[in-house]
Amino acid sequence: MSTVLRTRCTVDADGRITFRLSPPEAARPELVLVLRPRKGLPEETIHTLVLEPDGGEGEFRAVLEPRPALAEGRWDVYLRPGPDSGRERLRPGPRDVRVLVDGGVRDRPSPVAVRVPYTTKDGFLAIRAWLRTAHAEAGPLVLADGAMTVRARLHGAELTEAAEVSLRLRTDKDTVLTVPARAAADGGGTFTFTVAHAQFAGAGSGIWDAFLRPAADATPVRIGRLLDDVADRGNVFVYPRVTVDGAVVRPYYTVDNDLSVEVTDAA
Amino acid sequence: MKVSFLIHNAYGIGGTITTTFNLAGALAERHEVEIVSVLRHREHPHLTPHPGVRLRALVDLRRERDHPLHRRPAQVFPAAEYRHRQYSELTDRRIAESLADTPADVVIGTRPGLNVHLAVQAPRHVARVGQEHLTLDNHSPALRTALRRAYRGLDVLTTVTEADAASYRRKMRLPGVRVEALPNSVPDPVLPTADGTAKVVVAAGRLVPVKRFDLIIEAFARVAAEFPDWQLRIYGKGEEQDRLRGLIERLGLWNNVFLMGAATPMEAEWVKGSIGVAASDFEPFGMTLVEAMRCGLPFVSTDCPHGPREIIKDGEDGRLVPVGDSAAFGEALLGLVRDDELRRRMGRAALDNARRFAPGPVVARAEGMLQEAIEARGGDRPGAPSGGGVHRTLVSQGHAARDLARAAASSALRTVRKGRR
Repeated sequence: MSTVLRTRCTVDADGRITFRLSPPEAARPELVLVLRPRKGLPEETIHTLVLEPDGGEGEFRAVLEPRPALAEGRWDVYLRPGPDSGRERLRPGPRDVRVLVDGGVRDRPSPVAVRVPYTTKDGFLAIRAWLRTAHAEAGPLVLADGAMTVRARLHGAELTEAAEVSLRLRTDKDTVLTVPARAAADGGGTFTFTVAHAQFAGAGSGIWDAFLRPAADATPVRIGRLLDDVADRGNVFVYPRVTVDGAVVRPYYTVDNDLSVEVTDAA
Repeated sequence: MKVSFLIHNAYGIGGTITTTFNLAGALAERHEVEIVSVLRHREHPHLTPHPGVRLRALVDLRRERDHPLHRRPAQVFPAAEYRHRQYSELTDRRIAESLADTPADVVIGTRPGLNVHLAVQAPRHVARVGQEHLTLDNHSPALRTALRRAYRGLDVLTTVTEADAASYRRKMRLPGVRVEALPNSVPDPVLPTADGTAKVVVAAGRLVPVKRFDLIIEAFARVAAEFPDWQLRIYGKGEEQDRLRGLIERLGLWNNVFLMGAATPMEAEWVKGSIGVAASDFEPFGMTLVEAMRCGLPFVSTDCPHGPREIIKDGEDGRLVPVGDSAAFGEALLGLVRDDELRRRMGRAALDNARRFAPGPVVARAEGMLQEAIEARGGDRPGAPSGGGVHRTLVSQGHAARDLARAAASSALRTVRKGRR
């Protein structure tokens, strides 16, 4: 069987990613990052990195600097061995992303840029990137006393006393549940909000997306969980379903790791 | 030398597969090595074999699942073996053909049923090494009976612990068979060692009842109550997934305990943690213990038979706690969570102590053992110009006849048993 070319990568605390690989043949090799287009659309955004010899034994290295930030989405990683050759999609070797694990404890200036190298379902190396003017990072979620209480932290914007959280019905953006965002005693942009399950039950079935409006006239900021090493959170961070007044309420993370609440009819 | 490994399915995930790839890769530095996978169900194995290792499969389930012979139960592969249902007349035939034509000087079987094939069907000139990755005590009496008879045809039987080697010597009469412990090896880590600062506890393995992930979760409830910023990550897939998810919900631990799915290899996940844990009721070896310790993690494990106590030095590089006792497990874990200095000290000790499982020392032992087995077989090649050919042929036929008689007897017996049901 043929040997698979594997690419190691290391992320440092500044978000810099260093890739290392040993291609069998390489004349002026490049690493090509391609933003995965929406289905049916052509590729548009491509980022090319020079691969430089790194020590002996045919190993090459490319560095993706923290700036410029990558556009939000999923970036596939390819090798172009030489100027005249076609590109080949790369498979992952060890991904040293340990510095990302507690990424939620650090302050992030605006814009909030996040990148997490991960393995795609079909076994290739890719980078999950988020790029947001401001971001509200969800933390512990408590289900008690008929309500859901979430602790979160705002990055890239100022939290004011007028801050509120809105949950918008995805199919009808005018249907909105609004609750206050209470600043936590420890400051630093940390806040909590509570939504009673009965509020969802009364308002109807569907997917409700969570946003924070940090100030009265501010642009809403999506609440999600982006600041660690977990690229696909949906099957890992799983919350219980709660049945109330004939409705089943379940908070969950979307494919983009944003926080939403699914409400379905219990019958 | 030419070495051939015979394995159930090199395309799956598990300790036997990992350790076989590791040993094969290390031997490939100096020898000709192949891995023969009886079954294959996907294009690529989860682990990449060393470039010097040839990998081939005997039955490709993607094409041959419905082969008529694959619907008929195996006759050579013992009925009492755990995986008998996955074997068939087709595997019987393909394994026999593969062994008859093997270019190897030594063939290494990696599970009881395959060791039986080897003992019964390997050509006279080929040295036969059976590896036992499970343990004798855990085998059913029917399997033990089948193995007691067949294993006499092996040259060497290796177990993964000294305790299991002692069981084989004590309970099985295997005249002329060398029984020795050969621990699994774990390659030198390629990533920097864990530094003990991460507030993450890591467990890994198939999600099956014997691994007692439920006990780890219960124990972790105490940690989460006292240290809510710590998390437990469980890597693996399996039948217990839903039950474990239910337990996490019942204990309200969804902010601290995560079922991460499978990760192969685990190294990049171990180094995200600062303590490794396992709570098995039974662990023939304990591959995850060695993997984690080689990454610099102290390890908390139950003191179950057989592996953990041959790997962990209690209080020095980890903790051994009584089987099935979640309170004791939680207490041992909390001791390491509370004390940063203790955790780091034990992590450094784990790193040093686990070096004895590096490929270097383990492979050197394996190499010596294989060489001796080949020499003991006479080292003669089929058709090699040497004296005494007639005699050897006769002996060989005698051996084959005896083996055939055994196989026939065992299948006749099985038929009788089936008739009674």
